[in-house]
Amino acid sequence: MNREEILEAQEKSLAHLRSVYREDAETVIADARYGFISGLIKETLKKPAVERRTISDSIDKVLVNRGLGLFIFLAILFGVFQLTFTVSEPLMGWIDDGFGWLADEAATISPEWLGSFIGDGVFGGVGSVLMFVPPIFLLFLALAFLEDCGYLARAAFVMDRLMHRIGLHGRSFIPLVLGFGCNVPAIMATRTIENPKDRLTTILIIPFMSCGARLPIYILFAGAFFTAYRGLVVFSMYAIGVILAVIMALVLRKTLLKGPSGHFVMELPPYRLPTLTGIIMHTWERGREFLLRAGTIIFAVVVFVWLLDYTGALEPIGKAIAPIFSPLGFGQWQAAVALIFGVLAKEVVVGTFGTLFAGAEGLGDLGDVVGAELAWTPLIAFAFMAFCLIYVPCVAAIAIMRRETNSWRWPAFTAGYTIFLGWIVAMLIYQIGRLFTG
Amino acid sequence: MSMAKEITIALAGNPNSGKTTVFNNLTGARQHVGNWPGVTVEKKEGTCRYQGYTIKVVDLPGVYSLTAYSLDEVIARNFVVEERPDAVVDVVDASNLERNLYLAVQLLEVGAPLIIALNMMDQAESRGYQIDVSQLSYLLGVPVVPMEANRSSGIQELLQEIVKMADGEVQTRGFRLDYGREVEEEIAKMQELISRDEELSRKYSLRWLAIKLLEADEEVVKRLGMKQG
Amino acid sequence: MAGPLMPLAMVRPGEVVSVVGVRSGRGLPRRLADMGLLPGTKIRVVNSMRPGPIIIDLRGSRLALGYGIAQKIMVTGA
Repeated sequence: MNREEILEAQEKSLAHLRSVYREDAETVIADARYGFISGLIKETLKKPAVERRTISDSIDKVLVNRGLGLFIFLAILFGVFQLTFTVSEPLMGWIDDGFGWLADEAATISPEWLGSFIGDGVFGGVGSVLMFVPPIFLLFLALAFLEDCGYLARAAFVMDRLMHRIGLHGRSFIPLVLGFGCNVPAIMATRTIENPKDRLTTILIIPFMSCGARLPIYILFAGAFFTAYRGLVVFSMYAIGVILAVIMALVLRKTLLKGPSGHFVMELPPYRLPTLTGIIMHTWERGREFLLRAGTIIFAVVVFVWLLDYTGALEPIGKAIAPIFSPLGFGQWQAAVALIFGVLAKEVVVGTFGTLFAGAEGLGDLGDVVGAELAWTPLIAFAFMAFCLIYVPCVAAIAIMRRETNSWRWPAFTAGYTIFLGWIVAMLIYQIGRLFTG
Repeated sequence: MSMAKEITIALAGNPNSGKTTVFNNLTGARQHVGNWPGVTVEKKEGTCRYQGYTIKVVDLPGVYSLTAYSLDEVIARNFVVEERPDAVVDVVDASNLERNLYLAVQLLEVGAPLIIALNMMDQAESRGYQIDVSQLSYLLGVPVVPMEANRSSGIQELLQEIVKMADGEVQTRGFRLDYGREVEEEIAKMQELISRDEELSRKYSLRWLAIKLLEADEEVVKRLGMKQG
Repeated sequence: MAGPLMPLAMVRPGEVVSVVGVRSGRGLPRRLADMGLLPGTKIRVVNSMRPGPIIIDLRGSRLALGYGIAQKIMVTGA
């Protein structure tokens, strides 16, 4: 009895107040609160005659400028990628040599199976993945810096107009950028998007942001097959990902997730110089995920792959699946196997090759060896990379998707359509490309 | 041998107020990330030892207000109301005082044992702001601790206030904001009705419930609708 | 209050205006109120990327608003 009475009384009170104030009671109450705060401020805060906050504003005049804003943003993005790759190259070389040496030494251990296990399996497989710690960490570092100094908020602002055209808004921007580091924290970052349809759309297109795990694949094959143009090829992979993301967003917004877009209201904190401890902590938080995966899943899978290979069970598995990939140009059992296990963690694609072709001397060589053994042309390598980009988000991302959307429907949908889409795209690349290359 | 006394505190504040830095300062590596029950919102907890106390720190989602507009706000509010932590630290950006105090005022209305951590004092200073901290503390009726969490400055003082609050050494005046005659009249009417409901009056502050109803707060209305007693 | 009524979206950078109301359903006005934007509040337009987002100075902090929202906030010259 009582509850209904209360609710009825509420209705009456609200109606009364609305007639008195000509506004919702809610607004009157909020107003009273701010009124109180205003009074409080007058007695406790002294501001200088002229606001000194202009440094951030001056910077913003340039960075968030109508014409320049977008251009500056793209330039910064490009600069970040360039820096990451150039600085990490020598580091990668050292790690590569180090593991190569370890693998060689281990191979001499007897009994022979143990030597193979440690040499080919562990060092060959895991080493080929750990090699990518420098670029991945540097990328995370750059992202942490941009985020902490406040620029990322401006970038979201700059991108808002463009995002609107594909049915999203600026709030989706930061998670998408984070997706370039790792899809998992990116999907988690979509929590700040209030509108559920916006949020779901963002989550569904994040897998197209080439995460750090796919980087080894790109670098490996771009380096081996396109040496002179490898930077461009890697960039094109990222670009293809973004283009597909845009297309998918448009499609989703027009079909399954139709509806109005949410409000874009965002606070722009003042620029500040990030503290060293701050960015290191943020970088470590994200990079730690990668290392953990390397230490566990990747290690386990690589060992498992080695075992299957050593006992000869791998080839039949691969051969059974491989025909699916023939129209794509990479219908070889080794490629099939790599892709199967790559579902667990995309780095494993490289790790699997590393184990299978452990005779290779280092990564630079691995790419060539794969190419030679599987008789790949640059075109095939490109199609392969595209397939890796598109097909199925890794298991961790699927798991997070399930958690964040509270159902298996969307992760399953994503897994399904990305395999399909990846197949079509790679097939088109290969078949159409063949027409041109004869 | 004396047992370490255990207390629980909540960290509240606007996004971008430096709340996370304060959390990290307090708990260091002793943090643990989970989920708020039943939802996909991240819950960060950690512990801190200070003068024989074991302080469990719960990091509430960063919010601008305690209306029921978003899940984050509902979570923050429910934690304060249901779990009744020994202290609630509102991390306030000193360079953005006006807007940040909006949350503080609502926390006071909910009846939280509030301590204001006036963070980013360096930013306020660089803007030429001068804040009369003791006057602010007096007018709000709560302890205010100036801090620069980036440099870990003010943490000790904050911990002292937390412990004092948990020990009941701090006298908090009941906070009451005057909403103007018309609204106050309606508040009184609603309060009277609510006071007849035993369950509600036991659990919540009557005035707060009345105000929430006048704000047409969906969460409160939902709770009233569900609990048919 | 003097001056014509216009949407925030049409205000030029540098101008200070006073909020009159928000033409929208419930969610948006409340969201804005939480951030400090209420009828009677004075705001200054800092930057405008018409037809893109607008940056305003609101009670000392910077807020970025989408163009659609800026079109719904009605203001008048302060």
